[in-house]
Amino acid sequence: MRAFSFFLAFTLAFGAAGAAAAAPVGPEMARIPGGRYVPLFVNGPGSMRVAPFALDRRPVTRGEYLAFVRARPAWRRDRVRRAFAGPGYLAGWPAADSAGTARELRLPATAVSWFGAKAYCAWRGKRLPTTDEWEFAALASETARDAAREPGFVARLLALYTSRRPRPVGSTFRNVYGVWDLHGLAWEWTLDFNSLLISDDSRGTSARDHALFCAAGVIGATDANNYPAFLRYGFRAALEGRTTTDGLGFRCAQDL
Amino acid sequence: MSTHLRRASSAVLLVLAAGCGRAPTPQIVPDALPARAEASDFSVYELESPWHDQDGRARTLASLAGRVQVVAMVYTRCTNTCPLIVDDLKRMERALAPADRARAGFVLVSLDPARDTPARLHAWGEHARLDPARWTLLTGGEDGVRELAALLGIRYRREAGEALSHSTAYLVLDRRGRIVYRHDGWAGDVDEPLARIHAAAQASAAD
Repeated sequence: MRAFSFFLAFTLAFGAAGAAAAAPVGPEMARIPGGRYVPLFVNGPGSMRVAPFALDRRPVTRGEYLAFVRARPAWRRDRVRRAFAGPGYLAGWPAADSAGTARELRLPATAVSWFGAKAYCAWRGKRLPTTDEWEFAALASETARDAAREPGFVARLLALYTSRRPRPVGSTFRNVYGVWDLHGLAWEWTLDFNSLLISDDSRGTSARDHALFCAAGVIGATDANNYPAFLRYGFRAALEGRTTTDGLGFRCAQDL
Repeated sequence: MSTHLRRASSAVLLVLAAGCGRAPTPQIVPDALPARAEASDFSVYELESPWHDQDGRARTLASLAGRVQVVAMVYTRCTNTCPLIVDDLKRMERALAPADRARAGFVLVSLDPARDTPARLHAWGEHARLDPARWTLLTGGEDGVRELAALLGIRYRREAGEALSHSTAYLVLDRRGRIVYRHDGWAGDVDEPLARIHAAAQASAAD
């Protein structure tokens, strides 16, 4: 009987947690309050509403991804389904179940496909951030939520983008939300990376574009001076779900 | 062409009149075709997401195996180019040699799963006169749609209101679900996709 009561309490506790709108947010995540922002490419009303969400403070590290691969061997590079990852998947690791030295374990997990990143986040009870969430969080500098008009911020990002090299997570800057390394360490996957419809000439006005995309209207850039944002959107536009590259990692998000 | 088909075509032509050209139905010459296209090194059927077809039956993508499949991602409320993509596929269906047609299928996957119920897909398929023996209309979950689009290289986004923007592409899968051809755009020449279907159908026959 006591065992049964324990079982019942256990079930109720975990059942309640499961039924709640969102799992508890761990200390490794920052709360992003949400708000309105203007995406670089917009089709329709000029600003988007981003709901509050939680975002990992740091990109997922090699060490963390190694733990995932050990727990879910189907994601080892020698066992992963070909549909889920191109041939470069985890190619920089010394072995299928080894991610390298202690220092290398603190590098961002890169050469991970979108399918792998998505599966990792699901394993942690999280999800990938949407592009809007990611871009919203990435507007922030150390001191301001929207640093677009902060003198030199865009130029600083550009300098960070062009001086990338493998460095441990937490080595660029921490923004006002407490989130590290959104710029300057690696590109990052978003859940809807494939939501931007720009074509090879990226003007979105030619007859060819009209044939390639069934779009309700022409998409134009809202801030022609935000070159780092062009780089990010352009990079995402070149990706497919199986793509893996050395400079592309990820972090996870969660609903609040 | 039967009266039915003629009527269906004029419905599609009404949409075409909005500003899009239409190529004549091509004649295919199987002898001039490449013997075998290089297939992707993965199968689309490795995705395990759950789907339902237009008859409400639970389906996996793997259940499409065994035939050469022409796959497009569209949605039933689409008034822009989706009818044109479907029309391209129907042109291909008509132009295929009977032996190839017997080994081919056409799959339309909804990008709008919340509103495209199996019943709606069924009605839509009937309206467009899609032969249920050869056409599979699928609706799934948001996650399954996103995964399939990511694998097929289809870009899409929900816009304000009911509209979706999306790539206008279709792909040819061999009978194991490997991608043998991708076509971007619509209302173009269908000789090349027909050749790929033929080659894949011949390969199926030889297996």
